[in-house]
Amino acid sequence: MANSIVALRAYGDGLHLIIRPHLSIAEVEAAIQQEISRMNRSLAGTSVQIDLKSPTLKEEEIELLSSKLQETYDLTVRGVEVADEPIAPPIAAAPTTHIISQTTDTRPSRDSELSRIVPNTIRSGQTEEFPQGSLIIYGDVNSGGEVKAGGDIVVLGTLRGSAYAGMNGRLSAVIIAMDFAPLKLQIGNYVNRSSVNQQPRGYPEIARIGAEDVIIVEKFVKF
Amino acid sequence: MGKVIVVTSGKGGVGKTTSTANLGTALALLGKTVVVVDADVGLRNLDIVMGLESRIVYTSMDVIEKQCELSKALVRDRRVDGLMLLAASQKNNKDDIQPEQMKAICDKLRTAHDFVLVDSPAGIERGFSNASAGADEAIVVTTPDVSAIRDADRIIGLLQNARIEPINLVLNRFSPELVGNGSMMDQADVLDILNINLIGVVPEDSGVITSTNRGIPLVYEDGSPGAQAYMRIARRLTGQRIPIHDFEQKGLFSNILNWFTRKR
Repeated sequence: MANSIVALRAYGDGLHLIIRPHLSIAEVEAAIQQEISRMNRSLAGTSVQIDLKSPTLKEEEIELLSSKLQETYDLTVRGVEVADEPIAPPIAAAPTTHIISQTTDTRPSRDSELSRIVPNTIRSGQTEEFPQGSLIIYGDVNSGGEVKAGGDIVVLGTLRGSAYAGMNGRLSAVIIAMDFAPLKLQIGNYVNRSSVNQQPRGYPEIARIGAEDVIIVEKFVKF
Repeated sequence: MGKVIVVTSGKGGVGKTTSTANLGTALALLGKTVVVVDADVGLRNLDIVMGLESRIVYTSMDVIEKQCELSKALVRDRRVDGLMLLAASQKNNKDDIQPEQMKAICDKLRTAHDFVLVDSPAGIERGFSNASAGADEAIVVTTPDVSAIRDADRIIGLLQNARIEPINLVLNRFSPELVGNGSMMDQADVLDILNINLIGVVPEDSGVITSTNRGIPLVYEDGSPGAQAYMRIARRLTGQRIPIHDFEQKGLFSNILNWFTRKR
């Protein structure tokens, strides 16, 4: 499960290159390179079938990809199959949009805020609650675990459980995690559940209430 | 003074009882004195897996009710020296025993034996608190699927709250083929979530079913991969340092891929 965007599979009719929902063609190329470099055997001279799990790549992009596969890896593309039904893009929270660059800065003063450091992983069934301020978790929040804070929540590991920031109603609170795959996000009175089978994207992400009054999840760039 | 180790998992059917029987037997084969304790009151199984069900006269309930001495209730396994079973009562239920009573039994057993392995029932209720009451250490058994892992995570949290340490993980029913084709979590994924020490990986082994039905723990037959895995875990429990066996090396996926690339 190292590579969530691209997978090479061998089926009865030969090799298949499976491309799951993604953000950009650059991301796909990087994932292909990673997947192929994982193989300890050269694939030169083989042919692959491309299985697109969602119609996110344009036709010219597919062509470009095919020629790149041929050039770089000597892989012939023998066909392309696109899944009919568009699958929801892999965003942390289903009804929101995934934005790569951070646009607005709604940061309030956090000067006088208390914070509590939790030096361990929050496991399934455990709850860490700190209404007086922010929580910093030196570990993961596992599926079934819960963190709640009056201020922000920072997870220096993987967020797989649920996180509730701004539990006293502060809408400027944010949730930051090094790897983001939450079951449920809540900021103030805004709730978001995750999309099915959310996989961490490999970079830190931040959830906050965006301009359109929904929780948005985006790549974390320094404040 | 021996160690009391609780074997637990949260979820049912992941191999707690099989692991207890095999590790107990393996430790005895290594020359240790071992008592395996069935803490699954009302739903006992360990006696069957050990093949000792016909020899039980007294149970831990009789000991608690002072119907017999603890030493009388221990069933000696005749196939190997130093292995005993303390069975659970089948007619009572888990609420009939208090955690303190289980702890008293474990404390008494540890004075005379090297290892006391307590087979915990599934769940996080009274049965679990009874089983873990007297434990110094824990072995958490899980299979590489998400529901078992979430339950294991919950159990690890409860064990940590109870200050039971170390907590070692046995990854059971591991299938290199399924990992190879991407449909099963690999060792690294499991450890990333659970974040505890891995003491062994037991591969999926159909021999487990026959050995359970015959009442002969797998470790009596050296050949099977499952038996070897349990022997390695037992050695690690006695303090030997043995690297974790890498079952993933011969994944089916790479074999198929090799076959394809060779052909064209």
